[in-house]
Amino acid sequence: MFEGTEEKLRDLDKIIAVCIFILVAAGLMAIYSVTTAVHTPEILKDNFAKQILWFTIGIMIASAVVMTPMKFFHTYAYWFYGIGIVLLILVLFVGPVKGAHRWFVLGSMRLQPSEIAKIATILALARFAASEGVDLRRFKDVAIMFAIIAVPALLIVKQPDLGTAIVFFSLAIPMLFWAGLSPFIIFILTTPIITLVASFHIVSFFIAMALIIGTLFWLRKRLWIILAVFLLNVTVGVVTPKVWEGMHDYQRDRILTFVGVDEDPRGTGYQVNQAKVAIGSGGFWGKGWLHGTQTKLRFLPEQHTDFIFTVIGEEFGFFGVTMIMAVFLTLLLRALLIAGSAKSKFMALVVAGCVTALSVHVIINIGMCVGVMPVTGIPLPFLSYGGSALWTNMVIVGLILNAGVRRFQYL
Amino acid sequence: MELTETKKRLIFSAALCVIFFLLLVRFAYIQLYKGEEFLRASEENRIRSIDIEPPRGLIIDRYGTILVDNRPAYALYAAPADLSANDSAYSILASALKTTRPALREWVRKNNRGNFIPIKIERQLDFTTLSLLQERRLDLPSLDFRAESRRSYPAGVRAPHLFGYLSEISESELKQWREKGYEAGDLIGKKGLERRYETDLRGTKGRWHRQADALGRIIGDLTATDNSLFQNVAPIPGKNLLVSIDASLQLHLEKVMAGRRGGAVVLNCKNGEVIALVSKPDYDIELFSRPIPSSLWNQLANDPDKPLYDRMVQSVYPPGSTFKMVLLFAGLEKGLIDPEERVFCPGYYRFGTRAFGCWKKGGHGAVNMLQGLEQSCDVYFYRMGLKVGLKHWADYARLFGFGELTGIDLIGESAGLVPDEEYLDRRYGKNKWSKGLILNVVIGQGDVLTTPLQMAYFAMNIANEGNSFRPHVKRGTQDPLTGAEEFDQPDSVRIAGIRPETYALVKRGMYLVVHGANATGRAAQVPGILAAGKTGTAENPHGESHAWFIGFAPFEDPQIAYCVFVENGGGGGAVAAPIAKGIISLLLNENKLVPGTKRFADAGFER
Repeated sequence: MFEGTEEKLRDLDKIIAVCIFILVAAGLMAIYSVTTAVHTPEILKDNFAKQILWFTIGIMIASAVVMTPMKFFHTYAYWFYGIGIVLLILVLFVGPVKGAHRWFVLGSMRLQPSEIAKIATILALARFAASEGVDLRRFKDVAIMFAIIAVPALLIVKQPDLGTAIVFFSLAIPMLFWAGLSPFIIFILTTPIITLVASFHIVSFFIAMALIIGTLFWLRKRLWIILAVFLLNVTVGVVTPKVWEGMHDYQRDRILTFVGVDEDPRGTGYQVNQAKVAIGSGGFWGKGWLHGTQTKLRFLPEQHTDFIFTVIGEEFGFFGVTMIMAVFLTLLLRALLIAGSAKSKFMALVVAGCVTALSVHVIINIGMCVGVMPVTGIPLPFLSYGGSALWTNMVIVGLILNAGVRRFQYL
Repeated sequence: MELTETKKRLIFSAALCVIFFLLLVRFAYIQLYKGEEFLRASEENRIRSIDIEPPRGLIIDRYGTILVDNRPAYALYAAPADLSANDSAYSILASALKTTRPALREWVRKNNRGNFIPIKIERQLDFTTLSLLQERRLDLPSLDFRAESRRSYPAGVRAPHLFGYLSEISESELKQWREKGYEAGDLIGKKGLERRYETDLRGTKGRWHRQADALGRIIGDLTATDNSLFQNVAPIPGKNLLVSIDASLQLHLEKVMAGRRGGAVVLNCKNGEVIALVSKPDYDIELFSRPIPSSLWNQLANDPDKPLYDRMVQSVYPPGSTFKMVLLFAGLEKGLIDPEERVFCPGYYRFGTRAFGCWKKGGHGAVNMLQGLEQSCDVYFYRMGLKVGLKHWADYARLFGFGELTGIDLIGESAGLVPDEEYLDRRYGKNKWSKGLILNVVIGQGDVLTTPLQMAYFAMNIANEGNSFRPHVKRGTQDPLTGAEEFDQPDSVRIAGIRPETYALVKRGMYLVVHGANATGRAAQVPGILAAGKTGTAENPHGESHAWFIGFAPFEDPQIAYCVFVENGGGGGAVAAPIAKGIISLLLNENKLVPGTKRFADAGFER
């Protein structure tokens, strides 16, 4: 299992490792800033020290993952997946915490099975897509890919935790893409979703339609296909608003709640607005570390967890935001480099899935802070306070680095 | 069509780059383009601006006695956001303040200047309410009690018409005063000196910025390094108003006039200062130092005795015989009256088919001008009136300022009325009025109307022989911090075109009114002081005659001029003149000064 360790450590992608350290350090600074705010509840005061501990444990976890041969993950991919599903089912039967069946509570620790399931699903998808005889030109195999995602995702929806479920569903497209599904099929699969969202405004609807038709012509597809896709989209676009309008208020409320739009007690408007105020008031250079007034005076709930990026925005300004996003992008692009150069299809797909999971987290979380994504309770990888999320992300990094070290192996 | 691994990587990377770039554009929009706006919003989030009311200026009499003072009272403040954050806040407040929840909500909505800026909920809490609310502070942590001043009247002078009172600024006033920094709930002077010198007395509000957290808890003051948009500003106290009132004389006259309708105006001949201005009946100004209930207001407004009116300044009456000097000035100046010419008074004067009576039914016999004035013989004035004519009479009446405002620094002064031909034509129709009207107006009856203030002003103008001053109450202001005083220059008034000999003659006649053998105003005599005056007994259709007395003293070098007026009081000589005597003796006779005040002449009289 550990043969040739020295050689492998030399092949470790140091840029990715440095990126992780920078991100965790930035997170720690922000957490420290939050804990020095006025009237900080006692329970939050040791978050800074705890996060250092979680990270230390996280490094060990990542190291263990890096040192484990990829073959091991390939072999047990379906087992992991099965365990994940079982845990997701079991969690539905334990008492709700904060109104949702999301966690197993073990003493002071909370275990979130969807974190385990996320990694397991990536592994299972990779293993299936990389299997002999799987041909994504066949409908059956694409359907199996979707089923692998849908089972845990629907169980998570049941918790309910739509934010995480969205992360699961969003794994589908990039993984299928990397697995070799034709870009045209991907295009056809995604257009109705885009149309659904765009159909609530006449202008955005027409823009979406124009883009779809333009792309279809550009791809030089046959006329009947163009017409079929177009009709499908128009139908979705016309029906969606009608269905929405036909709904009762309580039904709409349910959907909005389901999408996570009103998760915060003082109204989403308040939270998003305070987040924008915090970030906006940072200007270019920010107010300086520990000098963010929004942070100091606790105008935002969950600022050490989901809204941690507002601390960066307020105290380090546009400059800090750009730096952190550059580090994230560097990390993700480096990981894609590994995915692109991996000899093993399984490894490449695992890395592509990991990159997708990370980027979806980053995009949804950061987008939420500036009001372009719904508030769904998705933490920001490596920055947000919290042990289990950090460990999950360290496992993901471990998998990426593992693939990097072994990219010339065929499993 | 299978893409190469490199192509996949490039497409995936490009997609990520595009999404990250779009997010960054959003950040640039929020942080760079809208940065200022959000910075301001974050500052407003945390900064609670608290207005600090400046202490209002005091009103101080000519000897330094404080007439209008401040004493501490408490006002209740709360920020709209804090009230809305707590479900029970409105209910608790409404029950404590004896109002309704919707009324309270409406008040808060109307005066909201920002959710975190505390607004005044109630001023001058009484002790019970204050302690009630203090007890519930745990439920209402964001309530704020601030000291504010409430007027008090330590000298016992309660001249409500003179001082005026403070009241919450009305919506229409707010429109006019907003740019001077007034806000809803602020107090503003209504009527009298409080209103006239509002800008002197009020001072400038200060602003105190404190830092509050998301729950509205005050964290502390802003530090020096904080935003310059929110600098603390100390309030500038209002200036003390130095008035020319003599508290002891004012108190004396208030006592004398108690239970009667009418009053007195005493002017300083040397500069036009108002030494006393009393109008009765009045109302208890202490009641107006708190928000007054509408029942009390209605009671005062509907009182048939009209206590809200300042009779000396706002009300007009026929001046009676005190107006007779006007005719003498006109006649003497126009050469139409020969002072030596004697007129026989049989007790009436026949004009056309009507007989116009003299006040003395038995008649005065033959009287010349001085005797006519001394004894106030109406027949003499009827005859002279016909000689002089309405036009000249009206011209001279206007020359002395009748029919127009004296320009005193009080609110709501009336101009009175000098009837001339034009006016009579307008009122009765051209040639529809009898020439006999002149007989009425020259003795101060009929259409002629004046304020008691105008009559005191008339007495001063005669005393000063045309080199006179505009009546005023304000002498100057005093900086409450440094004590530095700043005095106004008295406003000179020149009454041109009357010869000194004419003044000498008229004054001689007025001297005889007090000191002559047949003096009608002898009741105004004060041993050791020569005075001049004129009585008046103005008939009126609504009851007993109005008693008037105007005059000045000392005769040789007039220092004070005055008008005493008692509505439906009876004869001027019997009722009004003794009050004038009190004024003279109190002010000018050293032995009768009220203890504790300096002698009148010593106290900046000749400033």
